[in-house]
Amino acid sequence: MAPDLAFDALADPVRREILAVLASHEECSAGELSSAIHRVGRTAVSSHLRVLRTAGLIAERRTGRFRYYSLDPTGPAQDVIRLLQELFQGSLDATKIAAEAAAPASDRRAM
Amino acid sequence: MALALSAEQRIEAPPGAVFALFGAGSGAGWVFDAACDRVVAGAAVTLRAPMGGPSGQPVEMLGRISRVRPPGPGAGRIEIQLHMPWRGRLRVHLDVAGTGTRVRLIADLDDVGLQWLMRRRGHALPDEPHGDGHLVGLLTSKSGPGSVFATATESLAALAAQEINADGGIRGRRVRLIVGDDGTDPALGSVEARRLVRSGCRAILASTTSATFARVSDALAGDRVLLVQTLMNEGGLGGDLRVQLGERPYDQLRAAAGPMMREAGGRRWFLAGNDYVWPQAVHTAARRVLAEQGGRIVGEAFAPLGTRDFTPIVEAVSTSGADVVLSSFVGADLVAFERQCHAMGVRDRARSLALALDEPTRERVGDAAGAGMWGVSGYFEQLPTAANTAFLQRYRAASGAFAPPVSSISESVYEALHLYASAARRAGEDEPRTVARHLRCSSAEFPRGTVTVDGPETVSQQLFLAEATAGGFTVSPTLQRATAR
Repeated sequence: MAPDLAFDALADPVRREILAVLASHEECSAGELSSAIHRVGRTAVSSHLRVLRTAGLIAERRTGRFRYYSLDPTGPAQDVIRLLQELFQGSLDATKIAAEAAAPASDRRAM
Repeated sequence: MALALSAEQRIEAPPGAVFALFGAGSGAGWVFDAACDRVVAGAAVTLRAPMGGPSGQPVEMLGRISRVRPPGPGAGRIEIQLHMPWRGRLRVHLDVAGTGTRVRLIADLDDVGLQWLMRRRGHALPDEPHGDGHLVGLLTSKSGPGSVFATATESLAALAAQEINADGGIRGRRVRLIVGDDGTDPALGSVEARRLVRSGCRAILASTTSATFARVSDALAGDRVLLVQTLMNEGGLGGDLRVQLGERPYDQLRAAAGPMMREAGGRRWFLAGNDYVWPQAVHTAARRVLAEQGGRIVGEAFAPLGTRDFTPIVEAVSTSGADVVLSSFVGADLVAFERQCHAMGVRDRARSLALALDEPTRERVGDAAGAGMWGVSGYFEQLPTAANTAFLQRYRAASGAFAPPVSSISESVYEALHLYASAARRAGEDEPRTVARHLRCSSAEFPRGTVTVDGPETVSQQLFLAEATAGGFTVSPTLQRATAR
């Protein structure tokens, strides 16, 4: 992908919002994305998706007349977004282990 | 708006128990293992993100807790304002979920942060396009041990640029800053300096260790680029296209050595510092100043930048019987060394003088370990002048209540950009040699007072001695104006 295109693509708040939605989902249809993004309408979301796809930030999959979008797993922006999400998730996984080990057994039985 | 990244986990323990893990250092993950002296709004906090993988060096994320609500009957919240390596918010939400807790982390990531991460991960990014503006490079330390003293640097450079642009820019063109991160590593510093030059910068302000400055100066030997070191340094590299501002070790020591020996009630000194050119120059200057002022050196030690366990050096200090420790560590190393000195009882017997002790570093040393420490430089936040008060108001208005403190190190970048712009206006052209010639004879009123540049490495300014106290410093002017040479 062309990183300069990626920066232009990221300059827009709606496109960053689309990326944020996609970052927390495996894959979204165009309709699901439109309903998650309130500040602009469906047509605008479609044109933002086109910009993101051209920049190599997201991947598109077509099934019949439906289109599904996900973060492009090979782009540098996705690499770092995924890295950060794994770091944060890993940190909470460790919190869970520590908290549940510290909780008294009686508490755990009560759950 | 920034990207908001989130992670979530359900934990079979009550919210209060999960909240109690935050800052307790109990192996509850790198976010909950945040290093902070207290979990209250205003406390400095460090998160060690394992970005280099399990074996690599973690990236230290520096910030300040901006909001805390312990989970009572309702939801718990901890909010952190991140300062380094990018600016943004990190929120921890603790909500009751059945008999347990739902924990969510929400982290903001702006364009600057995303770009920093992409470069850090080794992705080749295009050089920033040439703009219409007057491009000035800022080489700073957004990661590595130096990020501790650099927390306010970028904001203060931006503040100066904003003031210069409001005043017509440089001959009608706006000053545009392009920022490079040396990672407190000279090799990375020269790569980043090269990138700033490719982007079109013909002047670079370096607010880095002298190790990076020297390497960058070599790397740019064949380029027509003006390189300015803004912060305290040992000098020696000034020239046609090299200007070294800032305090000199000899001046700082001459101002502080006498008061330190009176304060400590003894004349025995232990010299300890990081193993690179500036601390070595500090030790050389100390031998001269202490010989002049009747001090005696009872021990000396060096440790590489990035050291985290200083036990052998702290033990050597203890057995030496020193009255004063001259501590020439920098950034996170200075924080770790001083905290270990305090923990191992050195404070009971000795005072510590650190030439690079500034506000953000003191804050991370903490109130308890900071007691008994002294710094000496040309600026401290507490300077009671009208110019400084107005300057701090402008900084707080732009950066918010939870912004990092200002220090001599970060304020020097604000000054250097103003001095540079003034020199470039007087030069009437962009040719770096001409601008450098005007920069070498400059004088201006700044928050620290009058600063006069009279040569490639000759700067005159008032020095102040400062004792670390809870929440800041107690500052007193020293007897002489230092003329760094």
